[in-house]
Amino acid sequence: MKYKYIIIILGFLLLSYFPHLPASTGQESLSDSRESAATADPFSQKKFLPNISFILDFSYVRRDLDQGFFEALEIPGFIHGHSHHEGHSHAGFNADKGFNLNYGELVLSSAVDPYFDLFTAFHLSESSFEIEEAYIESRSLPYGFRLKLGRFLSGFGRINSQHAHYWDFSDIPLVYRVFFGDHGLLEKGIQLNWVAPTAFYLGLGVECLQGTNENSFGTKNAALTDAGSGEPITLEKVPLPNTWNFFGKTSLDAGDLTLLAGVSYAFGQARLDHFADEENPHGFTGDSSILGVDFTAKYLLGSYTYLALQGEYLYRKMQGTRFLVHEAGIPAAVGIGKVSEEEHQHEEGHEVVGAPMTKKQSGLYVQGVFRFHRQWRLGARWDWLNRNNITLAGTLLNLPGQLNRYSVMVDFSPTEFSRIRLQYNHNGYAFHEEERKKYHEWVLQFNLAIGAHGAHSF
Amino acid sequence: MKRLFICILMLYGLNVLGFGKINVVTTYGYIADITQRIGGVEVSVSRLAAGSPDPHFITPKPSFIAKLRNADLLIINGGQLEIGWLPPVLLQANNPVINPGRPGFLSLMALVTPLDVHDDVSRAQGDVHPEGNPHIQLDPYHIPVFAQAVMEKLCQLAPGKCEIFRENYTTFEKRWLEKTALWEQKLSPLKGTKVVEYHKLYDYFFHRFKIEVAGTLEPLPGIPPTSRHIAGIIDLIKKQNITVIIQDVYHSSQTARFIAGKTGVKVVIIPHDIGAVKEVTDIFSLFDEIVGRLTGS
Repeated sequence: MKYKYIIIILGFLLLSYFPHLPASTGQESLSDSRESAATADPFSQKKFLPNISFILDFSYVRRDLDQGFFEALEIPGFIHGHSHHEGHSHAGFNADKGFNLNYGELVLSSAVDPYFDLFTAFHLSESSFEIEEAYIESRSLPYGFRLKLGRFLSGFGRINSQHAHYWDFSDIPLVYRVFFGDHGLLEKGIQLNWVAPTAFYLGLGVECLQGTNENSFGTKNAALTDAGSGEPITLEKVPLPNTWNFFGKTSLDAGDLTLLAGVSYAFGQARLDHFADEENPHGFTGDSSILGVDFTAKYLLGSYTYLALQGEYLYRKMQGTRFLVHEAGIPAAVGIGKVSEEEHQHEEGHEVVGAPMTKKQSGLYVQGVFRFHRQWRLGARWDWLNRNNITLAGTLLNLPGQLNRYSVMVDFSPTEFSRIRLQYNHNGYAFHEEERKKYHEWVLQFNLAIGAHGAHSF
Repeated sequence: MKRLFICILMLYGLNVLGFGKINVVTTYGYIADITQRIGGVEVSVSRLAAGSPDPHFITPKPSFIAKLRNADLLIINGGQLEIGWLPPVLLQANNPVINPGRPGFLSLMALVTPLDVHDDVSRAQGDVHPEGNPHIQLDPYHIPVFAQAVMEKLCQLAPGKCEIFRENYTTFEKRWLEKTALWEQKLSPLKGTKVVEYHKLYDYFFHRFKIEVAGTLEPLPGIPPTSRHIAGIIDLIKKQNITVIIQDVYHSSQTARFIAGKTGVKVVIIPHDIGAVKEVTDIFSLFDEIVGRLTGS
């Protein structure tokens, strides 16, 4: 019976492993508490926990369109339906009819040491865990400078640097969606900003960004072969990092009225790879620049009530060559792309024909929000894509302009940590097979935050 | 472009004119007044929050960033009263000198013994502050403590002018203690009486003068009154013979007036900071006004 001894030895080890617990005396004396303080874990780092918060965004959507039909909708000249290109890893918010788990956002932030702050925001969907933002910021640069380094929401415009849960509506303005995508201009890079030592607020910033935005920038050259000659096409290499953004903001107070205005200008190379699209596969290579002007006025009516008016105008110019896959059917106006003069450095590419293209597009949104009660707000927004000029091979394409969306919302916030919003969208910007398809959308949104979540700026 | 540059230079010049003075920014008006009294002509003081809005919910205007950008010293109330609005503007001000832990930063909450400290907090308890009730300015005995801390801080930043600050402090403290004795005397008939307040805003004042706070119109801190809670308060007022509801200037007094209509209790609006009502222009008139309104004189 060898096992008997083994069991006895194991039992002995087990008993000696767990310390003998003293019987409770029922009342704690000072010496007891002093003793427990003396025996508390001297290596505990609990006090150094970063600020942790979690935000959940859930919605119920009604739309008078079939789901498949909705997904095939496009905005001619801006966004095409059924897109499957790189970087588009998750759908926009409120994409499905019925229930949507739009996102969970886990935020960790803390001072690293006397020199740096670290901020991270993880974007969670049902099947993915992504780093939305992760950046370090300087804490101790002199002369009003601050440096930001990592992946962050660009300081472009007004709404771009705000997280989705802070938006006044449940979706991003249309002009942002078509120029930057559902998450705005979110890039890896570096930002230097400076606050002027003036009596009024004047802030200037410059950003150097990787420039991988799927709608307006992009860094990767697709492998292309000229359909006419069968030779590979050599595209101009994209400098990395690729995109620059300059912005300035200033503000004035007049009694209870606060005005904030800003100008932004972002430019870089654009390499759009939509060759994987089912319909009309194509690509674009060229330069892209976007000018943004923003304006905000907020009139405080009391501690908890205000009237706010906010608007932004964005103008985009893209100039370069558009490549169409040969089999897809070639428009009459299309010319022949640049033929490679260098050695074969590309793998077998898409057989394409290229043509010079210039896009001049712009849009704006204006929104008004009235917080008439501590817990209640009313809002209205008008989205307008007013310019949609695309010249392909010297011919101005016949594309629809005047693309509109009208939205109204009412939201109820029991506390600062919870918000329930009902929003109605009248959408007049979407097309299906060259026919405008107006549709109505209702969104009931629930947005809740727990934990240590930092306050928001103006 | 050249004109803009000159314009900026001139504005910069205006700031430089203040050179030699210590540039102090305070979050609330009462701190600004104390600092001005201690610093005298040697300091230039500006405050961020106006006196009439709810001190928890100040709009973080971009103009605050400009003020903080140029500050040598930031003095705050602390106790998380500013947590909902100050951190973003402090970050955006890009001024490391006035960050917590630096010599150019002072928080007053740590100087006093707080009421209502919570070891376990949950947001289910409403808007609670783990470090205790942050409305520390309404105990008159706290004021000289703050003044002394401001004096010491200014001495640390400008040791050459320390004598002036010390003198100002001594003068202020003497006058303050005289006034406090007077207020104490005026309030003595109210000792032991009970009041109901809207928010736990005046607890330090009532605690000091031994006036009991029997209840608040808010069911939980920061949560607006509910009809069920109000029914309970009406009951409480009737049972305990409470004669007064203390109302602040920024919440709607509708609920208090409703209860007054049901019970005959008096609604008294009490200022909490400088500028909350037009009669209150400095730290002395703040307490004069509170005592006056409470005693009906």
